[in-house]
Amino acid sequence: MSTHAPAPAAHGHDHHSPNVPLSYWWKRVAWMTPAFFAFGLALVWFARAVFGMDPLWNAEAYYTVATLLGGMGFLTGIGCFDWWLKYAIGGKVDFDDHSFHGATSWKAYFRVNTDHKVIGTQYVVLTFIFFIFGGLFAEAIRAELAQPGQQFASGEQYNGIFSTHAVIMIFLFVIPMYAGLANYVLPIMIGAKDMAFPKLNALSFWMLVPAGAMILASPFVGYFSAGWTQYAPLAIQGGTGVTLFQIGVQFAGFSSIFTAINFLATIATMRAPGMTVWRMPLLVWANATTSALVVFGTPFVAGSQFMNLFDRVMGTNFFDATQGGDVIAYQHIFWFYSHPAVYIMMIPGFGIISEVLATFSRKPVFGYRALAMATVAIAVLGFGVWAHHMFTSGMADWLRVPMMITTVIIAVPTGIKVFSWLGTIWRGKLHLKTPMLYALGFLFTFTIGGLSGVFLGTVPITIATTDTYFIVAHIHYVFVGGSAFTIFAGIYYWFPKMTGRMYNERLGQWQFWLFFIGFNATMYPMHWLGLQGMPRRVADYDERFAELNLFISLASILMVISTLLFAYNMVNSWVRGPKAPWNPWRGRSLEWLVSSPPSTFNFETDPLVVGGPYQYGIEGARHAVVYAPSQVGGELTEEEKRTVLVVAHETLASQQLVDAIRRKAAEDYYWRFTIAVPAAGRDKRAAERRLQTVLAVLAEDGIDASGEVYDLGPIEAAATVAGEETLHGVIVATYSKDSSRWLQEDVVDRMRKSLRMDLSQIVVTPGDVLEAFDAKGVQHVAVIGRDGLSSQALVAELERRADVNPLRVTVLAAAGIDGPAWTDEASALREDIGERAGETLGLLLLAGIPAQGEVIDRDATAAAVVAVESYAPDLIVVATARGETAVESAIEAVREKAGVIEVEHFIVDAEAPAAPMGS
Amino acid sequence: MATEALSTTTARPVTDEGPRISAGMVAMLLFIGSEVMLFASLFAAYFFARFNIADNVWPPLSPDGEAYHLPILLTGINTAFLVTSSFTVWWAEHRLAHGDRRGLIRGLWVTIMLGATFLIIQINEYAHLDFTPQDQAFGSTFYVLTGAHGLHVFVGLSVLTVMLIRSYRGDFSPTSATPLTAASAYWHFVDVVWVLLFVLVYLL
Repeated sequence: MSTHAPAPAAHGHDHHSPNVPLSYWWKRVAWMTPAFFAFGLALVWFARAVFGMDPLWNAEAYYTVATLLGGMGFLTGIGCFDWWLKYAIGGKVDFDDHSFHGATSWKAYFRVNTDHKVIGTQYVVLTFIFFIFGGLFAEAIRAELAQPGQQFASGEQYNGIFSTHAVIMIFLFVIPMYAGLANYVLPIMIGAKDMAFPKLNALSFWMLVPAGAMILASPFVGYFSAGWTQYAPLAIQGGTGVTLFQIGVQFAGFSSIFTAINFLATIATMRAPGMTVWRMPLLVWANATTSALVVFGTPFVAGSQFMNLFDRVMGTNFFDATQGGDVIAYQHIFWFYSHPAVYIMMIPGFGIISEVLATFSRKPVFGYRALAMATVAIAVLGFGVWAHHMFTSGMADWLRVPMMITTVIIAVPTGIKVFSWLGTIWRGKLHLKTPMLYALGFLFTFTIGGLSGVFLGTVPITIATTDTYFIVAHIHYVFVGGSAFTIFAGIYYWFPKMTGRMYNERLGQWQFWLFFIGFNATMYPMHWLGLQGMPRRVADYDERFAELNLFISLASILMVISTLLFAYNMVNSWVRGPKAPWNPWRGRSLEWLVSSPPSTFNFETDPLVVGGPYQYGIEGARHAVVYAPSQVGGELTEEEKRTVLVVAHETLASQQLVDAIRRKAAEDYYWRFTIAVPAAGRDKRAAERRLQTVLAVLAEDGIDASGEVYDLGPIEAAATVAGEETLHGVIVATYSKDSSRWLQEDVVDRMRKSLRMDLSQIVVTPGDVLEAFDAKGVQHVAVIGRDGLSSQALVAELERRADVNPLRVTVLAAAGIDGPAWTDEASALREDIGERAGETLGLLLLAGIPAQGEVIDRDATAAAVVAVESYAPDLIVVATARGETAVESAIEAVREKAGVIEVEHFIVDAEAPAAPMGS
Repeated sequence: MATEALSTTTARPVTDEGPRISAGMVAMLLFIGSEVMLFASLFAAYFFARFNIADNVWPPLSPDGEAYHLPILLTGINTAFLVTSSFTVWWAEHRLAHGDRRGLIRGLWVTIMLGATFLIIQINEYAHLDFTPQDQAFGSTFYVLTGAHGLHVFVGLSVLTVMLIRSYRGDFSPTSATPLTAASAYWHFVDVVWVLLFVLVYLL
């Protein structure tokens, strides 16, 4: 293996792309999986017949071997082993085989792919689907517990439901989701072109599919109901579902181990020149540490499950006390892995939080080395605390106090981390974007979970609260308030990088608050329930807990709504969100110095790392030198770019300003633009819409721009940006002298003095042409109407759409003049419709939607012709007032003229009083 | 932090000359570490069974009151075969380092033969033991430990066979033989585990 995967240009051999269609692989899966499964059945039958075992049919034995082989059949069919098998039989193989690398269409995501970015995306999407299943099981638990007594599940079924919920969330969501996020960004962060072992990486991902299939199938063959911990002897006596779980979890475990080895080998050998360990981003530190835990910890859970399985299937006696076995031994071996597993499910999140907090606080991480070493300390100490899960199990008494002490000691490195994060945001300039909200929410909820953890680490408290809802509250504060929050933060944070599109910020913020409130309302009362003695893992409970449980069940629905909102935002933004710039958050680490999404091999040449990754606000500091592709200006680093501040409010979404920015950008390759929208006392949502529209337009042009709406006046907003970035120019856009409040208040001059800079002023006239907004990321909507115009309902609907996706509007007011156009009657009609159109335009401009208009003498059909011929919109909306006549035929005519352009019909209540036009 | 930040405004000289160890070897050593932990979990179960035994008799007595018997002498000889194979694989690598490809192939053949001999003798032992995996925790730990090891020997043999095939194809040179080095490291690990297992389970 060479040190660095060579760049594509360096290859002598050709890139024979896999020309076989997708169906080839899935046909192989379709016959190999059942074939291997059947072979497993035959093998067991053969062995039992030869050795004369009685009875010949033993469901557990058959399931064990057949599911194991079935899973291998799937992996073989999808093609994970093709290269290695060819190597093994002495075939001619290419060690730098990139034929399965990268994606040019969606199909590349449904076959074996060796590109770490594709694999990362595959992981994130698949594990999110598992998360939804896990959530369904959680809601089933809450449905059963909404009232005392039995609702729909028997005791056994209820046990199965909560066990499956936990197993999905732990083994199929949190652990692989972290692996997926790190898969995407970690190699880029250290300046590598891919992971060290791309084929092994692909295998790791695809192993999750049989693992997930087995665990999701287990309820149908008899629940495994011993809890996710699978304690012997309960698990040994359980149904066939236990076997499926035990085989499935081995697949998930091997997937984790291979990924961990891959990460460590990548970090050890593929860092870019200059990327010393003390310059690695904290996410890399976190994943290196986690990987070490996985490599040395996961085999223990594999061992414990193997022995459990043998006890079930082969009749061995590891955990059978009557035959010299030891029941407690299972718990020791299991928790020796599973306590470190708690950190496996948390430390990568610590890494994500460190990235997000530093970026959105615009400050260097406080105590970088302390944070890194605390991570390692948590991992090392994590191996010495396992028995705190067993204080009430009947284990050796002398082990209790040492384990209590080590447990409490772990609070020290964890405390170092929490205080370092607080130090990072202390006096920082917080930008409250969705990832940052999640990071701050994490600080709040995880600290609560961490504190109850210290509580529970002490022997007397554990004895008092063991197996109550206090434990449930604690673990969810750590895993939801901790892990899930960091996962959401990470997905939002890297979404622009991974998809090349921006997510919808407003939906994101709504989603956060729904989730945050829903989560706390669901989990916090469980502390009280637990302290009052409500037992966990029981389908029924005492009457006195009824009200609180009903409240919890209702509150949990908020999280469901929030998750659906998240899924909608992700899918919708991925399909038609505005294009993302390279570096929407002004991050410093390497993944922000490459395009969004990055090119096939991330970097054109090796980046050179020259400093730490978090030197925000330190003048002249830089993390790395990256040679960018020539179309953005040759050798250009993030730090070499020069920032122009653009200050505008209503004038932002105007042809003149966009043109001015374009002219400036064309002047020299190093200009980039920070747009500040001062919105103190103004409509912030409108400001946000204008900003998103302009950013989408500029992104389309390849102009590096980002921006933010400030709840400040113009001078203060400009000063805020000036405090964060070194400015090399300022553009202020205002209306002309008569109508500009800013000019009347002398804002431009005062800003000049406050910034001590020369600034250029652009004067904008509203309502002119809008060709500047002809961009793919901005939907062009033509609104045709007569009585339907100038209603609040129409504008509100357009506002709602603009929140999801930037749009510009052309209003075509159809006067509907039938006869000659020069009569007084026609003039009156024209005047009336002109007024309505003007009102609508005014409302749209106030709402932050760029809009222009035209009055058409004739009817809607004629307007449609004008729309198609002169404006080429993406969508035609016909707005009619309720009660308007002959609507159907008019719509039909418009549809005919519109051709391929989509036509929608709004019915609005006419004559709703229009708001007076503002200045 | 602050001083470092200020001093890094210009690029530092690049001192990296590439890692001294290949990614393949890093991965194999980590994988071996992982395997060590797997055996550790099985040994943990073994010690739990062994030190929880009621009257401190190990191996324990069967229900008929007879002691279970372990064939120490035969297994001792078998151990010698396996340990020798570690030296032969080292010798094979040594020959490659001198550019002697025929020596490499010969060394690998001998190693595989010794490993296969070990495996066959072990299977033969299974067939003649007077207890089964179902005979108390003693039988369970014995069979699962030796069985897990046997499986690793089988995997090791398969990997060495692949290396042999690749050697015939002329894949390896004195300067480029990471797969071979990794396979040999794995084989050494399998042998070391066996020595440990033999001492703990058979002798003590």
